[in-house]
Amino acid sequence: MTPEANHWAEKWKQIIGLPDFLPESVVAVLVLSLVYTLVVVPSGAAVNYLARKVGADLQARVGPNRVGPLGLLQPFADLVKLLQKQVDSKLGMNEKIWLGLHTMALYSTVAVLPLGSLLLLINTEMSAFLPFWASLVIAMGTMLLGLSQKSIPGWFGGIRAASQALAGALPAIAALIAVGVRAGSFFWSDIADSQGAGILAWGVFDSPFEPISFFCFLASGLVVMGIAPFDGGLSVQDIHGGVSSHLHGTQLALFRLGRHYGFFLWATITAVLFLGGWEVPDGVQAWLTENTSGFAIQMVESVLLLMKTFGLMIFVSILARVTPRIRSDQITDLSWKVLSPLSLAALAGTAIWAFWTAKNGGSP
Amino acid sequence: MSTHGESLATDLAYWGIGPYHQALPGPFRLNLNLDGEVIAETKTEIGFIHRSLEKTFELHPWSSALMYADRLDPEAASFGEMAVALAIEEVAEIAVPVRAQSIRVLVNELNRVSCHLGFLARMAQAVGAETLFHYALRDRERILDQFELLTGARFSLNFFRLGGVTADVTDGFLERVLDICEVLKIRLKEYNDLFSFNYAFLKRSRGIGVISREQILAHGLTGPNARASGFSTDTRKSEPYSGYQLLDFPVLVENDGNGDVHSRFLIRLREISQSTDILKQVIESIPGGSFLSQPVSKPVKPQPGEAYIKVESPRGTLGCHLVSEGGDRPSRVQFRVPSMAAIAILPEILRGSRMEDLPVILASLDLGIAEVDR
Repeated sequence: MTPEANHWAEKWKQIIGLPDFLPESVVAVLVLSLVYTLVVVPSGAAVNYLARKVGADLQARVGPNRVGPLGLLQPFADLVKLLQKQVDSKLGMNEKIWLGLHTMALYSTVAVLPLGSLLLLINTEMSAFLPFWASLVIAMGTMLLGLSQKSIPGWFGGIRAASQALAGALPAIAALIAVGVRAGSFFWSDIADSQGAGILAWGVFDSPFEPISFFCFLASGLVVMGIAPFDGGLSVQDIHGGVSSHLHGTQLALFRLGRHYGFFLWATITAVLFLGGWEVPDGVQAWLTENTSGFAIQMVESVLLLMKTFGLMIFVSILARVTPRIRSDQITDLSWKVLSPLSLAALAGTAIWAFWTAKNGGSP
Repeated sequence: MSTHGESLATDLAYWGIGPYHQALPGPFRLNLNLDGEVIAETKTEIGFIHRSLEKTFELHPWSSALMYADRLDPEAASFGEMAVALAIEEVAEIAVPVRAQSIRVLVNELNRVSCHLGFLARMAQAVGAETLFHYALRDRERILDQFELLTGARFSLNFFRLGGVTADVTDGFLERVLDICEVLKIRLKEYNDLFSFNYAFLKRSRGIGVISREQILAHGLTGPNARASGFSTDTRKSEPYSGYQLLDFPVLVENDGNGDVHSRFLIRLREISQSTDILKQVIESIPGGSFLSQPVSKPVKPQPGEAYIKVESPRGTLGCHLVSEGGDRPSRVQFRVPSMAAIAILPEILRGSRMEDLPVILASLDLGIAEVDR
């Protein structure tokens, strides 16, 4: 374990009030479960509700308004409904394995999810690249799940998801490397610290090339994860929802939550890479340090980051509501022919910018 | 010991979709042979909701038979009524007062707008743009509300009678229709800003499902589908009926388009606008007088003879062939429905298109499966 890892384990032991003799692995499991149950799952419900309400407003409708005050309990009602449904017993062994495997692999990335300076469970030079592994796992799992379904919707859905993930990976990696060049490191903490709390100090405004990187990273994330309007693999119109057409009840709930988590993961990373991460304004930080425990700062950081993440997710879902679903061959075209060259050009530009900035002692 | 060499299956994949499927506008079946994502061959199968409608007309007295006409195509109900009413009136030599003619045109044009708004909603759904779907249905509701006030029904209107219509237009109805026309003008601009020339929509609709002029002629496509391919045809102009000859409106033709999905979308948007203009003209010039020339209870007994009537329905030219042998009920009623030609052309235009374009092409043809199977 790295020194940073020890650092977080000690802090967490203090916060939860665990005895000192507990090994790190146990603390890690506890914290991972906490993050999953307190952040990932509720964020699914929150974003689902907000996106539906905002979308309904956009479409001159009311949206959820029956379950609980203002329809706030609608996501839970949906979940309970899904869990009650009879599971299709025809789901074969292969499908069970692929669904289970890709879900497990996906959630293992909670460990590298950057949610604040304290919530960095694993903070290494490779941390920033691990979510890519998750995104390719979700695509690979979806493809194998679809191919093992023995039906045209499953095959088409699976192959479309896989081809999109392959096409979107290159621009995403190029944009990430551009961020590494800017920050001088791939540690989550360094990337976040290279930016400021004010909007103009965000990474996206650091150089003329950063907005391009930001756009490429966000768009290629939607392509890789297959999020609307780039969700040809889950199109209801022609292939009844692709891979998800053969999933029911708990399986469908698992699959949907996994897809939501993919979206959440990508939005969080985008916020950390480009939108100032969890940086709190200096004055606020000083006041908090003076008047509260260190834990309060961590909470404020996480809430700030989650707000940025939710904002990004809702922005994308509003765009998806007014934009027609783009054909998957057009999506891969866009990825290879537009996003890839753009992100590579932005990477080259960022490198030159960083070189000049270093040479002139901090100013371009 | 011999080993078995592995072989790679390279045959076309078969996928039969329907009679119930999200992409289909109604119950019919498409048997597709797919080469990857590309459709290589299509066979269509219809008849899933055959109701013996044409035979039903023969089982009822003349004035009762008319009420089955709105079942021909529930979404565009008043056009079936118009065709059958005109046919019976021609055979039985029943005069229709001018006010009744105007009210019929009014109902027809309102119905055309509501049907085209339904088309916009289906088109938006096919490409996955939810917002336009909700907008179009919101605006269609206003028209359906007026239908409910006027006729008591929202879809199966059953409003036409032999020699006129069931009732005179109610108080304030004309003003409310004028209001709707004004609102629609604003909405059409909204639709255009939001959707019609949206880059993503253009990518999904330009050059997709192209129908050439030759194919239009070969298959007998009519209505907006033909006009979208640059074919100037409109029964309201070429063989005017029910006072259309007194109205001033051009035949809309999409000359710039090449008969693709986008042309078919645009021509219907323009037709909504044109229908609002026609509605305004009708309301401004609506004559006074009676709305029905004879009581509904009066028995009709036409001389032996036959009539063939064509009306311009939102889906194309709707023909009604009616035969009387002098009895108290029709001897034969037969329809020529516009959606039949659109079904027939499907195998040609689907060949070579991608699976993802299938719902878009089907929606753009505005098929009425109820009238195909009848």
